[in-house]
Amino acid sequence: MTDVVRLDAIYAPSELVAREIEGEYILVPLSSGIGDMEDELYTLNSTARVIWNRLNGKRTLRGVVEDLAAEYNGPVAEIEVDVKGLVEELLKRKMLIELPES
Amino acid sequence: MSYQRVKPAIFSRKGGELSLSIPALTGLLVAVLDRGVPFRFRAKGFSMAPIIRNGDVITVSPLKGTLPRWGDVVAFIQPDTGRLVIHRVVRKRNDAYLIKGDNTLKMDGPVPRDSILGCVTGVERNGTEISLGLGPERYLIALLTRRGSILPLLAPVWRFINPLRGRSSG
Repeated sequence: MTDVVRLDAIYAPSELVAREIEGEYILVPLSSGIGDMEDELYTLNSTARVIWNRLNGKRTLRGVVEDLAAEYNGPVAEIEVDVKGLVEELLKRKMLIELPES
Repeated sequence: MSYQRVKPAIFSRKGGELSLSIPALTGLLVAVLDRGVPFRFRAKGFSMAPIIRNGDVITVSPLKGTLPRWGDVVAFIQPDTGRLVIHRVVRKRNDAYLIKGDNTLKMDGPVPRDSILGCVTGVERNGTEISLGLGPERYLIALLTRRGSILPLLAPVWRFINPLRGRSSG
């Protein structure tokens, strides 16, 4: 099943703990009811981290893209591709949820 | 700020591959327990041998409002050093706890309740669950360890139990 990433949707982290530790940004999933250092963990590169920090359940994905384009003075189309690609990956790994529309 | 495209990337890592310092591990432990779920990780050190050995995988569970009990093996922040330690409660004095490694001579503490992060609820060694030291026998161990290291006392028992465990699982 392909996860559909929508620009007008709002995304937020699912059950996990995210911490910057010794230069690495580490995500520990809690979805199985335990934080397991022997299981799979995730790290993000700096770009993914900048995007991740904005996926906080407050703005639509379009808003996130516009924020990033303004802050980094970059092309919206390119940033949109990158943001959607990362969100798709995060949804696949169940690290992100789409919030229901209010 | 000039724009330079670096594609976002997410990397999957086996937790065991990450070599985290004790402060880093402590940060994760606190963060996970704060969310009300247990934290499973590889223990370092020898102060709780033979109950917990260097490299054993232990599970620390949040206290969720309950008080640590006599004999419990707890994870706590040592007030003097700020370090994460996993030792056994051997006595309660007013609102503080005297805690001690089964295999150490020196008592930790008194340790205030707030410094205790969680309770060890599981120990695994080479993929096998080890229950010795966390069940009712913990009271006896707490009693014995108050006076010194229990390693000399437990070593013969361990040597007796280990071959039996090997036979029953093989």
